[in-house]
Amino acid sequence: MSQMRLSFLLPLVAFGILALVGGMALYGTLSGSRDPTQLPSVFVDKAAPQTNLPRLVQTGSAAGNNISVTMFQGQPVLVNFFASWCAPCRAEAPALEMLSKRVAILGIAYKDRAEDTTAFLQQYGNPFQAIGMDADGRTGIEWGVYGVPETYLLDANGVVKLRHAGPLTRGVLEATIFPALEALGS
Amino acid sequence: MIAELGHFALITAFILSLAQGVLPLFGAARGNSAVMLIAPAAAISVALAVAFSFGALVWGFITSDFSLALVANHSHSTKPMIYKISGTWGNHEGSLLLWILILAIYGGVMALGGSAMPMALKARILAVQGLVTTGFLAFSLFTSNPFLRLATVPLDGKGLNPILQDPGLAIHPPMLYLGYVGLSMAFAFAVAALITGEVDRLWAKWMRPWIMAAWCALTCGIALGSWWAYYELGWGGWWFWDPVENASLMPWLAATALLHSAIVVEKRGQLKSWTVLLAIMAFSLSLVGTFIVRSGLLTSVHSFASDPARGVFVLAILLFAVGIPLALYAWRGPQLVTTADFTLTSREGGLIANNMLLVVATAIVLLGTFYPLGLEMVTGARITVGPPYFDATFNPVMALLMVFMAIGPVMAWRRGQTARLRPVLICAAAGAGIVALAVSSFAFGFGIGPLAALGLIGWLGAGIGADIWQQLKPNGTASFGARAKRIPNDVIGMWVAHFGIVIFMLGAVGDNLFNSEHVVRAKPGDVIKIADRNVTFTGVKQVEGPNYQALAAQLEYRDKDGTLFALLTPEKRVYNAERQTTTEAAIRPTLRGDDYAVLGDGDSKIGYTLRLYYKPLVSWIWGGAVIMALGGLIAAFGRQRAATKPANPQQNPASALSAPDGGA
Repeated sequence: MSQMRLSFLLPLVAFGILALVGGMALYGTLSGSRDPTQLPSVFVDKAAPQTNLPRLVQTGSAAGNNISVTMFQGQPVLVNFFASWCAPCRAEAPALEMLSKRVAILGIAYKDRAEDTTAFLQQYGNPFQAIGMDADGRTGIEWGVYGVPETYLLDANGVVKLRHAGPLTRGVLEATIFPALEALGS
Repeated sequence: MIAELGHFALITAFILSLAQGVLPLFGAARGNSAVMLIAPAAAISVALAVAFSFGALVWGFITSDFSLALVANHSHSTKPMIYKISGTWGNHEGSLLLWILILAIYGGVMALGGSAMPMALKARILAVQGLVTTGFLAFSLFTSNPFLRLATVPLDGKGLNPILQDPGLAIHPPMLYLGYVGLSMAFAFAVAALITGEVDRLWAKWMRPWIMAAWCALTCGIALGSWWAYYELGWGGWWFWDPVENASLMPWLAATALLHSAIVVEKRGQLKSWTVLLAIMAFSLSLVGTFIVRSGLLTSVHSFASDPARGVFVLAILLFAVGIPLALYAWRGPQLVTTADFTLTSREGGLIANNMLLVVATAIVLLGTFYPLGLEMVTGARITVGPPYFDATFNPVMALLMVFMAIGPVMAWRRGQTARLRPVLICAAAGAGIVALAVSSFAFGFGIGPLAALGLIGWLGAGIGADIWQQLKPNGTASFGARAKRIPNDVIGMWVAHFGIVIFMLGAVGDNLFNSEHVVRAKPGDVIKIADRNVTFTGVKQVEGPNYQALAAQLEYRDKDGTLFALLTPEKRVYNAERQTTTEAAIRPTLRGDDYAVLGDGDSKIGYTLRLYYKPLVSWIWGGAVIMALGGLIAAFGRQRAATKPANPQQNPASALSAPDGGA
């Protein structure tokens, strides 16, 4: 009997846990401590992983069939992991568009199909200088990507200076990305 | 002045709904009928007061009264009238008031009807409904007052997000809210039953029309939202597994489980505590959906007006509205347990399988939606859960559900098979094989997933057909017509609703397997081939809309023989007031498939980017949803199949309700 009574408590307990998570998230957001920019990356101040990916072939592009981070040696570069199936990636499209005027951006389409990626870029604009296809997500693992969208800032020597997980909002741009870009003189 | 009256009416409604929520509970506990009768009177008054208040707000939008902060921020004098009106609920404060209005109307309708119900039950149901209304009225009055005035009146408004200026989105929120809020009635029935600890078959019988009404509205509301995403986002997709979409899918799945388990309570007096729990869950999930959308905790393409501060209030409502009923359930639930008097291979068994699968599906969606948030709280990591997760987890569960959908209805109550089971099984299996083979014979290279989906379409379609034929075919005693007449409405409704799923699946599979897509950079005069059509791009035209400027591509569609059959003009619009650009896809929908064209960037020198799709059967997706809702309506209203032990509500409703149940 007591075991049966316990099973009737289960929904309440499950709801309590769910409410706690929601409440904590809300408290964090309200108090300002829930800040995705504090996410550490093991690569900060280290060289970015070697990356060599097939290029998303686009009309009018006669460059090589692969992209790599070394392509941007000598200038700072933003590496942006995105996917057509990811809703927040749509939200950050205007921010990337704005950033593309200040710094080169390398896009890496994470677990995406080429035709979907192409359609995504048609719809939301293409701020990228080059796009690599990480179809199986292997490169994402090497970089330690938590989930798309995720953005890394590399200096002229290919050293990771900053990592931001989550969409680039106006607040994020002003608080972290712009200062970091200025520190790199870009 | 009218706005102040509207605000005053809202305050009046708050006080009245507090009375509606508290007094009848005492009346019902004491058996004082005079106090219990406050419930219907208060419910009707609340509905009238909220309706007046909502009318006052709509009036503010119609007359473009920019002294109201809400109108100034979300409307514009040059907007077409329909979008001025729909702009009322195109923002947080107004949509909250719409939510309350629908809540109050449900309460009012309940107060006017339900004359066969025992007075105490009705009073308790209305009281619970009143408490929910009170919570939301407080939310509106204390944090989101729609009637705030501005000290300095601006010359014109800021306009409405152009993406929301759309006929589909004008009716999508009211429809969706009819569904979300309708589940509050089932919730009120469940809580009222938990207060006394009594559930019987009449309780389920009275609750079922409310569940069905809410379910039909929710089905249509979700379909409308998906249809809107299809044509407005210009993306060609119709479901994105976005948190806001998931928020509407979860209550739908729970409500679908609920309407099936309520049948078992009504016909057999079994599954009582489970049904009560489902009723609480279904409405809780609509509240969770509101919490997600309005607190902005999860990022979504759909969410508007998100504000964490408001999230605190919704969380508080959620804690009371879900926490208290679940505590009641922990206390009273064990009283509702019945001993199972059926075998697993019975109609009850089939419905339990349905419930298990639907609850698992709900849990999958819940997990996919909340896991990223939970993980972030624990480890600080942020992840996105996308379609790959849902395709791998949700779809197989739904496939299994479809397997049961063909068999369940031909099982007998209590135990064993009927004579109908064998022919239906044979037909369903044959249908599965024929469809899978037929389609894969002219188009090779399907994976196991699409092949299984095709097989399921054949399985369910043939299964339903065989069931209908079994019940209709003339035998010695009755002719075709006489047998058709004898079939109760809820059986017909079930066939229609299940058939709607076949239609929906045809659309989803057709679009998924045979969709053609072509992205080109084209100059005027270019001819593009898509499916078996030749599309001539003749150029772009400037178009002047009521409140926007647009660039429209002119696309001439010709069939194989060169006959012109359609002119499509996809647009890129710039809205004057909001300074925002939107893409308007041009769609030519037919039953066979949709031609879908989107205009991208470009200029006359380098050419324009055009995205052309041919999407076979895609309209069937929404057609199937409408057929499902239609089936729900047929089943909810009209002649019902008799219960196994006929109960007569006219005889003595009070004693019928409190009489110990057969299986208890």
